[in-house]
Amino acid sequence: MLHLSFTRWSQAVLLIVALLLPLGMGPYWIHVGAIAWYYALLAASWALLAGYAGQFSFAHVAFAALGGYASALCAGQLGFSLPVAIITAILLAAVIGALIGALVLRLSGPYLALFTLAISEIFRLMLVAEEDVTRGMLGLPVPGLFTGKSDIPYYYLGLALVVLALVAMNGLLATRVGLFLRAIREDEGAARASGVDTTRYKILVFVVTSVIAAIAGIYYGHFIGILTPNIAILPEMGLVIAMAVIGGIESLPGAVIGAVVVFLLSETLRSYGEWRFVLMGLALILVQRFAQNGLFPVLESLGRRRQERRAAIPSVGGPSNG
Amino acid sequence: MADGGTMFFSVNGLSKHFGGIHAVENLSFTLERGEILGLIGPNGSGKTTTINMVTGALRPTGGTIVVEGSDMAHSPAHLFARRGVARTFQVPRLFRRMTVLENLIVPALSDYAERRSTAEERARGVLQFLKLGHLANQYARALSGGQQKLLELGRALMLKPRLLLLDEPFAGVHPRLLEEIIDHIKSLNRDGHTIVLVDHNLEAIQSVVTRVMVMARGQKIADGNVAEVLQNPDVVRAYTGTRTSH
Amino acid sequence: MSYFLLLAVNGLVIGLIFALVASGLTLVFSVLKVVNFGHGSLYMLGGYASYYLITALGLPSLVGVAGAMVALFIFGVIFERLVIAPMYTDKVERKDEYAIIVTFGLTILLSNLGLVVFGPFSKSPPSFMPGALILGPLILPYDRLIAAVVAVVLLVGLTLFLKRTALGQALDAVSQSRESAAVIGIDPRRMYTIAFGLSSALAGGAGALIAPIFALSPSMGDLPAVQAFIIIVLGGMGSVGGSIAGGILLGLVQGLGVGYLPDPNRALAYTQAFGALLLVVTLLIRPTGLFGRSHLRLE
Ligand SMILES: Nc1ncnc2c1ncn2[C@@H]1O[C@H](COP(=O)(O)OP(=O)(O)OP(=O)(O)O)[C@@H](O)[C@H]1O
Ligand SMILES: [Mg+2]
Repeated sequence: MLHLSFTRWSQAVLLIVALLLPLGMGPYWIHVGAIAWYYALLAASWALLAGYAGQFSFAHVAFAALGGYASALCAGQLGFSLPVAIITAILLAAVIGALIGALVLRLSGPYLALFTLAISEIFRLMLVAEEDVTRGMLGLPVPGLFTGKSDIPYYYLGLALVVLALVAMNGLLATRVGLFLRAIREDEGAARASGVDTTRYKILVFVVTSVIAAIAGIYYGHFIGILTPNIAILPEMGLVIAMAVIGGIESLPGAVIGAVVVFLLSETLRSYGEWRFVLMGLALILVQRFAQNGLFPVLESLGRRRQERRAAIPSVGGPSNG
Repeated sequence: MADGGTMFFSVNGLSKHFGGIHAVENLSFTLERGEILGLIGPNGSGKTTTINMVTGALRPTGGTIVVEGSDMAHSPAHLFARRGVARTFQVPRLFRRMTVLENLIVPALSDYAERRSTAEERARGVLQFLKLGHLANQYARALSGGQQKLLELGRALMLKPRLLLLDEPFAGVHPRLLEEIIDHIKSLNRDGHTIVLVDHNLEAIQSVVTRVMVMARGQKIADGNVAEVLQNPDVVRAYTGTRTSH
Repeated sequence: MSYFLLLAVNGLVIGLIFALVASGLTLVFSVLKVVNFGHGSLYMLGGYASYYLITALGLPSLVGVAGAMVALFIFGVIFERLVIAPMYTDKVERKDEYAIIVTFGLTILLSNLGLVVFGPFSKSPPSFMPGALILGPLILPYDRLIAAVVAVVLLVGLTLFLKRTALGQALDAVSQSRESAAVIGIDPRRMYTIAFGLSSALAGGAGALIAPIFALSPSMGDLPAVQAFIIIVLGGMGSVGGSIAGGILLGLVQGLGVGYLPDPNRALAYTQAFGALLLVVTLLIRPTGLFGRSHLRLE
């Protein structure tokens, strides 16, 4: 099937590579790898929200910020123990996710994009302005999760989170919910006329993906040790979108690979400065223009796709252009 | 056949206003179980708006929609679907990037009453009936216009409908397929389905229904036996475009 | 009182610039049914284009502005042909998302290109005219005055063009229904290209006009773009007049807000947040914008 074009086999190989990599890498690249998992979590969950369910949201990194800040503030100012702080932050993200999901029920396309963009900016500006609580642009210190100086535990924690998130999301998509989400994306009115309770599933997908974004933010905050409002700036959202689109907006593993490849590339090419993002913007446009399912699914199933396309030629008349 | 003509669907004083436009005004009619009704009227007379309201896609401005005794005028569309009120759209609205089979499975699974395997079995049966079996694994977007209409009919059938509302099933369909769709509708009605059929093709409508209802500018202007209704001067005037007296 | 006047006049000038940006965005939205998320970077590009025309080629300032508009028109036409146009074919299935992604990609591309080519430090083109007009307590620099006058001329010209010329009428026809427009012999695809080109030229002109007032920087387009989104949701969404009025109003509100709220850091953050909040509330009340027609998906 198109939507699960990554075979289990190639995923297993990639997982083994990811598990073994730290053995051959220096601390710098382990650090980079651990950050890559943050983006992988965001890109994959955004792919579920935007690619599967068709809810193009610009507020995804704001949920990472929400999770990160909530956990940091609970653990710091409120003095919660770490697990309690983390769980509180996750629950908060679930509630806010449900709220946003409910608010945007009637919005679609560019209106949804503008709405979530505005929500995200409002939240970020609050983080900037309310210095008394968030320390604004100075940054909020966040306690670490592990003792010791090594990033290796974070690397494996991040990897575990990515694997867990993928398993959970794929599990969800394998049930009838996956079918309903795609139906909603294709035509919400028709889905409703087919008996699908679209309200319920749209809110559900916002809750699930917001929680994963928040988990990513919590992980990132405790790992890096400091949070600034810049975690939620528009270029960060652009990075996540580019990763998912380049990797394959309708393929969760594709989005993960897109995130890892884009992030590693941008680290490797550090000496080229902003040229990297020029390249990324160009790649985003070109991929969307010429390969809307992303690069990695295309590479994976080049031969199969050609067959499918041949088979998909309408047998009677042309496709209606109604 | 119908079981002795129990009234099971009735609409009373139904209206829909879009700003100043009275798309549907004070519309009332009833359907008996197993009946097939033709709903006709010039462009913009409110036929689609009526279907939208009696399937929950649009909230009525006023009036009641009673399905088997309960008023559903304020129910959401998916509850209409689960009560067996199914529809097709004037311009097919398929799940274009899902396969033909998946298109059919969505309605079957939507109320959680059916397992996926039985839904799939039933879907294959429906495809057989519509002679679309060979397309089961194609993307819906790859179908021809006529095939899309058939698939939409199939998707409605997967809801095990008690009432089937078809919005212009004949429009833009190849003459050969037209015969086929007419046959499908007849056979569905023979099997006891209650059907409302909206179309501009009077000839095709006449070959299927005995009762026809006519709308003009949002109002019902005639309802009854096809032959008589089509002789009605109000109806003739509505179709020839001159204003009716009321 | 004179402080108020000063803030109001400055707000008005900025508002006219916002109006130019927003009317371009509206034009693309109403004709193509696309929100151009890259609009702000076209504004930035226009500022730099005029800067280089003036400093490198030695053109007179206002000729530089006109040259920037021509350059941006050409850029817009090329981008529309190469990247947006495929959207109207069967090749692109999810049109809304496609448009958002490619225009947003344009922003990433251009704003970073701005950083590497123009450098992160701000640049200032020469004044249109040094000095200031002094009206009692009110000191009005000629740069602002000229920017305001040119902006008004452009806005009036745009309005007349849309109302009075055959091409303007054709654009309007396509914005109302591309099917009906096609029936009466208008090629919608050509209108899309023209609308996108004009819209880019308006954004570029706005950027060129603001350049002598505030310096140029690669991120100068971010804020006006967000303002323009707010304006088209609030007032325009298809109405050029609405976006002009909305632009001026928003410029005034922000000019006064920043001037009168105590803590400047918070004032800046919250005047921006206020606009965003306005957008959020508007969309909650009317999911397709305040005075907008319902959104037509391009199918
Ligand atoms: N969403 C809407 N907003 C505003 N007006 C609407 C809307 N939907 C329908 N209308 C108007 O309501 C009236 C009835 O439209 P409707 O689509 O129900 O007619 P119809 O009988 O189905 O016509 P046709 O035979 O052309 O399909 C028309 O004047 C139409 O313009
Ligand atoms: Mg109709």
